[in-house]
Amino acid sequence: MKPTPTTCSPKIHQPQTTSTRTVSRGRTQSEIEEEWLARSAGIQVERLFKDEATEEKGERARMASFVGAMAIADLVKTTLGPKGMDKILQSTGRGHSVTVTNDGATILKSLHIDNPAAKVLIDISKVQDDEVGDGTTSVVVLAGELLREAEKLVATKIHPMTIISGYRMAADCARSALLERVMDNKEDAEKFRSDLMKIAMTTLSSKILSQDKEHFATLAVDAVMRLKVSSSLYFGSTNLESIQIIKKAGGSLKDSFLDEGFILDKKIGLGQPKRIENANILVANTAMDTDKVKIYGARVRVDSMAKVAQIEGAEKEKMREKVQKIIGHGINCFVNRQLIYNFPEELFADAGILAIEHADFDGIERLALVTGGEIASTFDNPESVKLGHCKLIEEIMIGEDKLIHFSGVEMGQACTIVLRGASFHVLDEAERSLHDALCVLSQTVNDSRVLLGGGWPEMVMAKAVDELARKTPGKKSHAIDAFSRALLAIPTTIADNAGLDSAELIAQLRAEHHKENSNAGIDVITGSVGDMGELGISEAFKVKQAVLLSATEAAEMILRVDEIITCAPRRREDRM
Amino acid sequence: MAAMTATASRSSKTESYVDNKRKDDIRMANIKSARSVADAVRTSLGPKGMDKMISTASGEVIITNDGATILNKMEVLQPAAKMLVELSKSQDVVAGDGTTTVVVIAGALLKQCQTLLHAGIHPTVVSDSLHKASVKAIDILTAMAVPVELSDRESLVKSASTSLNSKVVSQYSTLLAPLAVDSVLSVVDPAKPDLVDLRDVKIVKKLGGTVDDTELVKGLVFDKKVSHAAGGPTRIENAKIAVIQFQISPPKTDIEQSIVVSDYTQMDRILKEERTYILGMIKKIKATGCNVLLIQKSILRDAVTDLSLHYLAKAKILVIKDVERDDIEFITKTLNCLPIANIEHFRAEKLGYADMVEEVSLGDGKIVRVTGIKDMGRTTTVLVRGSNLLVLDEAERSLHDALCVVRCLVNKKFLIAGGGAPEIELSRQLGAWSKVLQGMESFCVRSFAEALEVIPYTLAENAGLNPIAIVTELRNRHAQGEINAGINVRKGQITNILEENVVQPLLVSTSAITLATECVRMILKIDDIVTVR
Repeated sequence: MKPTPTTCSPKIHQPQTTSTRTVSRGRTQSEIEEEWLARSAGIQVERLFKDEATEEKGERARMASFVGAMAIADLVKTTLGPKGMDKILQSTGRGHSVTVTNDGATILKSLHIDNPAAKVLIDISKVQDDEVGDGTTSVVVLAGELLREAEKLVATKIHPMTIISGYRMAADCARSALLERVMDNKEDAEKFRSDLMKIAMTTLSSKILSQDKEHFATLAVDAVMRLKVSSSLYFGSTNLESIQIIKKAGGSLKDSFLDEGFILDKKIGLGQPKRIENANILVANTAMDTDKVKIYGARVRVDSMAKVAQIEGAEKEKMREKVQKIIGHGINCFVNRQLIYNFPEELFADAGILAIEHADFDGIERLALVTGGEIASTFDNPESVKLGHCKLIEEIMIGEDKLIHFSGVEMGQACTIVLRGASFHVLDEAERSLHDALCVLSQTVNDSRVLLGGGWPEMVMAKAVDELARKTPGKKSHAIDAFSRALLAIPTTIADNAGLDSAELIAQLRAEHHKENSNAGIDVITGSVGDMGELGISEAFKVKQAVLLSATEAAEMILRVDEIITCAPRRREDRM
Repeated sequence: MAAMTATASRSSKTESYVDNKRKDDIRMANIKSARSVADAVRTSLGPKGMDKMISTASGEVIITNDGATILNKMEVLQPAAKMLVELSKSQDVVAGDGTTTVVVIAGALLKQCQTLLHAGIHPTVVSDSLHKASVKAIDILTAMAVPVELSDRESLVKSASTSLNSKVVSQYSTLLAPLAVDSVLSVVDPAKPDLVDLRDVKIVKKLGGTVDDTELVKGLVFDKKVSHAAGGPTRIENAKIAVIQFQISPPKTDIEQSIVVSDYTQMDRILKEERTYILGMIKKIKATGCNVLLIQKSILRDAVTDLSLHYLAKAKILVIKDVERDDIEFITKTLNCLPIANIEHFRAEKLGYADMVEEVSLGDGKIVRVTGIKDMGRTTTVLVRGSNLLVLDEAERSLHDALCVVRCLVNKKFLIAGGGAPEIELSRQLGAWSKVLQGMESFCVRSFAEALEVIPYTLAENAGLNPIAIVTELRNRHAQGEINAGINVRKGQITNILEENVVQPLLVSTSAITLATECVRMILKIDDIVTVR
């Protein structure tokens, strides 16, 4: 039996306070004796885990997950709110690429994490991103605060299950408090639009686009409203696919614009028309270099040069036939995902057809979608292929680049947002921010309930939860109380990030909210308590609800943990 | 890597106190490294700025004065320093000139921010005030600007020569500046007077001669020899030019093929067949009257063989081979012809016409020149010469800058004085404005105003003048209302810079200020560096 070293590698994100019991085979004499004694008593279990697997139990396990989750929450905490800070994400991979971002989900997604509880928080942030698109930081901060409060309660010997049930009651109560205060302006189109504008501006104000938030809010609202109007049959489409975002370096953020139509970042082939009206578009994914015989090892044997020339001619002829077939569809624009070689390109040019080669996959899928065509790969039955249509195709110039613009497309809701910005960092971040705004807006189109922002919902919830705590008898009331304190952490963080005196502001806010139907929230611009309704700071109900519920669930999940078993890392096979 | 481990070990601590301290450290570290980048290029600013010699990893040596090029080759690793490199790149994309200026301004702003942060002002407050100041600055600059007409060639030349004056090739600015103006103006499409595609101006470099020999060619220039293996023509008048994308060589199929030769007579026959095949092609070409062939480079097989060259020479056809596929568009646009991808499509209407195609000896090599093109597209070619490779490269970069300057003027038809005049005027007006503002904002705007003085200061310093004396005098003159007073580096004193013909496009100044502010604000907002996969 060869001894295994007992040292286990230090783990990132595991606090020093947690001692891990390593099940190992290197034992001292006394341990062996102990084991013998125990075995004779008949209760000893032979080693349960593989080498290097660790387990943490009870209090320690809980501590480990609390600490891990709180560390994650603290990491993103500073990005919360309109005056939140950004992070540099420096990749350790090749190129050491740098990303500057304020988006919680983006930061968390790219972290190296070795703490299971921390991973749970990252997951909820991801889900939040997929589901509603915004509030990715809030959800993590709230979950972290809930756990911080829970830790204190556990320290005072309150059973985790009691805390959980208290949290559940509190979450229900908070949700109904919000429901009571929602506004719904679905019926009034004008008001609804202004609601959307407010929401977009609130979302954008915490991002890089904050300086031009009005401009971008208009862009985002216009884009989403287009979706809504044209798809009135199935009201409230959230198909963001048809909103395309194109990034072009140069110019400033203000030069970004919304274009009605579709823009493809490709070039038109040589000698082909640069402008086509009433275009019939065939979108295809086919080889336009050569149709190769795909049988392995196929080859021709000939005995003269003339025959080689014949074969070459035959190949050319085949391509010509293919092109003829394509032209036979009655099209004047052909878009292919693969390369179009010079020869077919010339044939198309001769036929006066605009051919676009090498459109990327995303590009043609989208193009097929918006022009109402289908992606074709065989051309024998022109009747069965659905062509795309658009009113005008032309070459436009954005900055230094030439792009192809399709306007008057079949699917009227399609539009393109062209982002301009100083550098790629700015553009990438702008795209992320705009995406958030678009997500939230499309969710709001579905569920038009709206809340005020700026810490207002948290104050409303905290007040309701506070009252519940007073009414509830028993230990649970401590947990409910803790929940309300955790809720207050969000406005506190917003104020802290803005460099304001959070203790003072929160106290003022609480006093304001003691009155019925107060609209008070934190106005970070002036650094005081202000009326959120007047300032036009709004948030979507759906986002807040998702933040509340998933943060509570995540906290509950982590609280329930009483043992962490880390499996032995998979060994790499020794190379022979 | 030390920073990496530190991030990892510290992020597990929960005390907010430790976290906050770290954030300050990160911000200061970012500012410091960004500033050191700015300091590195500071000395290359202005007409008397120095050059940098960069020896790249591959052992190549570059001597340049162009901020974007220096930073691009520096290979910095620190993320904030990288952002400054990106900044200079963006300026290069937007305006093409002022790549050093933008970095120097960003450095100066960061220096001021450091003081502001030490004074306990919250970064977001600083950031917002900077934005406000920059918006105001743009207004002031626009008010200072003088409109210019594209027909006013003289003003355009002046601004191009201002840009060229700071480069190695400054003594040739009288030659290069009009050249840049002419080439840009000749590609402006009257239908779209605000757009210039600089890809329509092709720069061909050829070693030998001096920069003096640089010329604008109304036509095409190929940095290639005519392929004449067997004494073909090197000069053709009344040329009919074909751009072909197929190969004049023995056939090759896409499917694998092999020719089975079983006896000697067969071999002979195959050789003969090859000859007739090629001859057939060339006859077809000749039949259309074509006498100049431009052949696209092919990776699949030889574009031409010795045999085909021989036949082409006999047919008195001038051949230029290995034309890059990327250049085809430019060539076809210039020649007003269509590329031909198959011998079957070789028709007379696809040809381009030119008065003269000739091979000229230049330096140690030869170039081919196509002139007198019929119905020429809106393109131009500039042939740049230089006595050594370093000068040649730098001349090309300088010319690019000058072209960009002219392009800026086409895009935004306003001129502004150079020589530090706009910056000092901004500084003065913003300083006055800051007195009207209240609170932190006023404080930050004043710092912004002070930061802008770095440009005249550095200009004077690089020119070997006493920066303090110059800047204070400049301030004085501006306070007396001479808004166009600037540093005349040649005379070493302060004069009305507009009269000295030192002008630059408005776009260069405005984009330098907006971009620098945007970048500084971004750096200020960062409070942590997280290492990720």
